[in-house]
Amino acid sequence: MHNIMPSIYGLNFLEQSILSIIPEVVIIIFAFMVLFLTFFEKLAKGKNSYYLSLIGIGFSILYVFMLSGRNLIGFYGSVVFNGYEVFLFIAILLSGFFAVLISKDYIENFDIPYPEYYSLILFGISAMMFLVSSNNLIMVFISLEFMSICAYILTGYIKGSTRSTEAALKYFILGAFASGFLLFGSVFIYAAVGHLNLYAIHTYLENISYGSPNGLSRLTGISEYLSAGLLLFLVGLAFKMSLFPFHAWTPDAYDGAPTPVTTFMATGIKVAAFAIFLRIYSLIYNFNIINFNDILWLLAVLSMTFGNIAALLSSNIKRLLAYSSIAQAGYILIGIIGGGLYGYSGTLFYLLSYIFMTAGAFVIVIIFENSDLISLDIKKYTGLGYKRPFIAAAMSFFLLSLAGIPVTSGFMGKFYVFSSAIKSGYNWLVFIALLNSAFAAYYYIKIIVKMYMPDNEDSVNSCVIAEGKNYGIINGSIGDGLLITILICLFFTLLMGIYPQIFINFANYSAASLWRI
Amino acid sequence: MDFFMKYLLTILIFFPTASIFLLLPINKKNESLLRNLSTFLSLVEFIISYYLFVYFKPDTYKFQFVEKFNWIPSFGASYFLGIDGVSLFLILLTTLLTFVSLLSSYRYIKEHVKEFVILMLLLETFMLGTFAALDILLFYLFWEFMLIPMYFIIGMWGTGRRIYSAVKFVLYTLAGSLIMLFGLIYIFIMHYNQTGNFTFNLLRLYHTNIPAGLQILLFIALFLGFAVKVPIFPFHTWLPDAHTEAPTAGSVILAGVLLKFGVYGFFRFAIPLLPTAALILAPFVIVIGVVGILYGAFVSIVQRDLKRLVAFSSVSHMGFIMLGLFALSAISVNGAVIQLLNHGIDTGALFLFVGMIYERMHTRQIKDLGGIAKKAPILTTLFLISVLASVGLPGLNGFIGEFLILIGSFRYYPVLTIIAASGIIFAAVYLLWMFQRVMFDESATSPHSSEHHAEIFEDMNLREIVTVLPLIILMFLMGFYPAPFLDRIGPTVLHFISMINHHKIVYNAIKIKAGLSNA
Repeated sequence: MHNIMPSIYGLNFLEQSILSIIPEVVIIIFAFMVLFLTFFEKLAKGKNSYYLSLIGIGFSILYVFMLSGRNLIGFYGSVVFNGYEVFLFIAILLSGFFAVLISKDYIENFDIPYPEYYSLILFGISAMMFLVSSNNLIMVFISLEFMSICAYILTGYIKGSTRSTEAALKYFILGAFASGFLLFGSVFIYAAVGHLNLYAIHTYLENISYGSPNGLSRLTGISEYLSAGLLLFLVGLAFKMSLFPFHAWTPDAYDGAPTPVTTFMATGIKVAAFAIFLRIYSLIYNFNIINFNDILWLLAVLSMTFGNIAALLSSNIKRLLAYSSIAQAGYILIGIIGGGLYGYSGTLFYLLSYIFMTAGAFVIVIIFENSDLISLDIKKYTGLGYKRPFIAAAMSFFLLSLAGIPVTSGFMGKFYVFSSAIKSGYNWLVFIALLNSAFAAYYYIKIIVKMYMPDNEDSVNSCVIAEGKNYGIINGSIGDGLLITILICLFFTLLMGIYPQIFINFANYSAASLWRI
Repeated sequence: MDFFMKYLLTILIFFPTASIFLLLPINKKNESLLRNLSTFLSLVEFIISYYLFVYFKPDTYKFQFVEKFNWIPSFGASYFLGIDGVSLFLILLTTLLTFVSLLSSYRYIKEHVKEFVILMLLLETFMLGTFAALDILLFYLFWEFMLIPMYFIIGMWGTGRRIYSAVKFVLYTLAGSLIMLFGLIYIFIMHYNQTGNFTFNLLRLYHTNIPAGLQILLFIALFLGFAVKVPIFPFHTWLPDAHTEAPTAGSVILAGVLLKFGVYGFFRFAIPLLPTAALILAPFVIVIGVVGILYGAFVSIVQRDLKRLVAFSSVSHMGFIMLGLFALSAISVNGAVIQLLNHGIDTGALFLFVGMIYERMHTRQIKDLGGIAKKAPILTTLFLISVLASVGLPGLNGFIGEFLILIGSFRYYPVLTIIAASGIIFAAVYLLWMFQRVMFDESATSPHSSEHHAEIFEDMNLREIVTVLPLIILMFLMGFYPAPFLDRIGPTVLHFISMINHHKIVYNAIKIKAGLSNA
C-alpha cells in the first residue's frame, strides 16, 4: 500500500492535485465558455456552441493521453488518476462526443436553446469523469448527484412536451430515492469502519482480516453495519446501472428524453456507474462480508430475463432499446461476478463495445425521428433496406452486435465476460445468459425483418420518406454529425469484433491498475 | 506462385469477400453484369479450390496448407487454418455448389439482384472458413456468422411463409450454437486449469483430460449445437420450412453445404474432443439416426409439396450419415464422408430440378403437376439420373456411400443396420413415386392444373444444362470410380479411427480395473 500521507504535505501536493483533475477541469472551462455564449445574442445563434463543445472534448481527450501512464492522487486522496481512469475517461468522452455530434440537427428541430444544452452535456461529462476518478465516499456521492442533476434537466429539456416532462419528473423522484439509499449506505460504511477514503477502507479491512483463519471473523460488531451499508450502497448504484428491481425509471426516461440525451444516458451514465461500482466492488465488496456475488448473480439473472422479455413485448424502438440496455447491464454484471483481472478487463471491454453499438443504434433512431410518437414505432423501419441500404445495413450490424453474433464487438464482449464467469465456476449463470442471448436475438431480428422483408409490396412504398419529415435527414441527405458517428461506431464495432487484441491489452492494463493502490 | 501456394487457404476464403468490393460500385440496374460477373468470380473461386485438390498430398493424415498467425494472444486464439482429406472435399463441394447456385438463379431471382449476389459471396467466405478453421474461436466466428447471409437469402427471396421460416431457422440454429459455445468455452477453461495456458488450438485441446461424467454433459451441449444443424430427428423441424420457402439457390446451399456442418462438427470437434462420451453415447445417437431415417422416409411419402418431399428426404439421408459416423468403424466413417458429398451433389441437383419445374409451372404441388416427360425429354432424363443417384442405384454415387455405411456398421449394430437398410427401399418408394406422378401422370385431377400450362413447358436451356452438368458428371464419376475420393479421405479417417480406438482401449482398461477393484 502506497501511503498517501507524505504526498499531502509534499511540495508537489498542489501540482499533483491539479494534474489529477485536468481533464475534468478542461471540460468544465469549456462548459462555462459555452454557457457564456448566451450573453452575446449573435454568438449564441449558429454553430458556435456546437463546435466549442467538440473542441473542449477534443482537448480533454488530448490531456487524458498526455497524462496516461501516470499514477496521480490528488486532494487528500479523494481523487485518483491512473490507468483505470484513462480507459474510462476515453470511453466517457467518446460517449459525450457522440452526444454532441448527434444533437445539432435534433435540437434545432425541437427549438431548444443551444448553448445551455451543450454546456449541460459538458457538465454531465465532467461529472461522470469525477465519478469515475473519485476515491472517497463523499466524492462519489457529490459527483453522482452532479451527474444525475445534469441528466434530470436534460431529460426534461423539450419544452412543452408532456412525455419529456413526465420522464424527467419520474426520473428525478426515483433518482432522489436512490441517492438517499446511497447516502445511507455511505453513512453505515463510515460508521462501521471510520474511513471515507476507499483505499483507507480497503486497508482497514485488509488489516483487520489479516492473519485470522476465517478471514473476517474478527469483524464481529462491525460486520452488520458494514453489510447493511454496502447493501444500501449497492441499491443506490444499481439504480444508475438500471439493474432489474431498480430499473423502473429506465424505459420512461429513455423514451421521454430527447434522443441524443437518451444516447448519452444509455452510454455515458451507465459506463460511469459501472466503473465506480467496479472500483468499489474490487476494493470493498470483495471481502465478502456477506456473499455479494450471490446477490449480484440474482440481479444479473433477473435483469437479463426481465429486460429481454420486456423488450420482446415493446414496439416503440426507444423503449425496446431501453429494455435491451437493462438486459445488457445484466450481461456486463456477469464480468464483475466472474472477477479477477480476466473478469474485470472483460467488463471494461464490454463497456467500451457497448458504447459503440448502443450509440450507433440510437443514431439511426434519431435519423428517422420526428415530433410524432408514431415515428418511433418499429413499423417506421419497414422497407428501409431498399430505401437507404447503407443506413439499414449499419442498423442491422449494430443490432446483430447487441444480439452477440460473431464478427461484431458484441460477441467478443460476451465471450470475454462469459468465459470469465465459467473460469470462476459460475456455470449456471453463463448457461442462463446464453439462453437469454438466444431469446434476445428474436427481437433484434424482428427489426431486421421489418427493414429487409416487408410483409407486402404496398408497405414498401408508404414507408420512411413518405411519412413526413425526418429530423436526421436534411434535403434528402443525412446530417454530417450523424453520419460521422455512424461511421465511427461501425468501424469500432467491426474492429473490436475481428481484431480485439489492442482493446484487450488496453482493458487489461486498465483493470490491472485497480490493484495499484 | 510461392506466395500463392503458401497462403492458398486465406486467398480461397477471402477471395469472395474481396470480390464483393468489385461488385459494390456496379449500378443496381445493371443486373446482367452483376449476374455474369458474380458467376464468373465464383467460377474463379472454384478453380482456385481445384488447386487444393491438385496439390493435396493423399498419403498423409496430417493437416495441409497450414497457416498459423497470432490473432488474440490473450485468449490463445490464433488464425489457424488447415485441411485434411475430409475438409478438402467439403471445400470443393462448397465452391462448386456456390457456382452452380449462382448460375441457377438467373431466372428465379428477379429483384434485388445486387444484394443477392453479394450475400451469396459473403456466405461462401464464411462456409469455407468454417471448413478450414482449426482454431475453435475462429471456427465459431465463421460458424455463427454464416447464419446471417442465409437468413437474408431465405427471408428476402423466399416464397410463402418466408419470414416465419427464416426467423425459425436463425433462432433454432442460434440456440443450438449458443449451447455449443458454452461447451466449447468450458473445454477451453478446463484446458487452462490443467495447463495454465489459454489456447483455442484444436490440436492441443484434443489432449484435455476430462472425466467421463463431465464429458457426457459437454457432449450433450455440443450435440445440441451440431444436431440442430445436421439435423438429427427431433431437432429437424426448422429444415422443411427453411428448405421449402428458400429460393432454389438457398435450398441448394442449405442442403448441399450447411447441413454438412453438423456432421463435420461431430467429426472434427465433438467426437475427438470428447471421445469417451462419444463411445458411451454412440448407440443412442445411432438409434436417433435410424429413427430419423425411417421418420424422414415415411413423412416424405405423404408429402404433397415437391420441395418439402425433397427436404424430408434430407432428414432420412442425414440419418444414414449419422449411423455411419457413430458406428465408428473405418469403413462406415469412410462411407459417411462419401455419403456427405453424395448428399450434397444429389440433393443439390434435386433442388435444382424442383426449382426449374417451379419456375415453369409456378406450383410445387405434386397433384397439379404431371405430363412433363413428354414436353421436356432432357429435363426428364437428367432429373431421373439424380433421382436414381439419390435412391442409391449401383453405378451412381449414392450407392457407394450407402453400401459402405451399411457394411461398416453391420458388424457393430446388426439389427439397427438392417432396419436402416429398409430406408433405402422407402427412398425408392417416395422418390420414384414422386417422379412418376410429376413427370408421367397425365391424370391431374385438380381443376387448377389447366392454369399451370403443362402444354407449353419449355425444356432446359443451355444455361440450365451447364448448371446441372457438373453434378451429373460427378454422380457418374463417384459411382464408377470413387478411388480418387476414397484415397484422400482414407488416411484422415484411419487416423480418426485410431484416435478413437486408442481411447476405447484406455476406457475399457479403466472399466476392467474398476470392475476388479469392485470385486
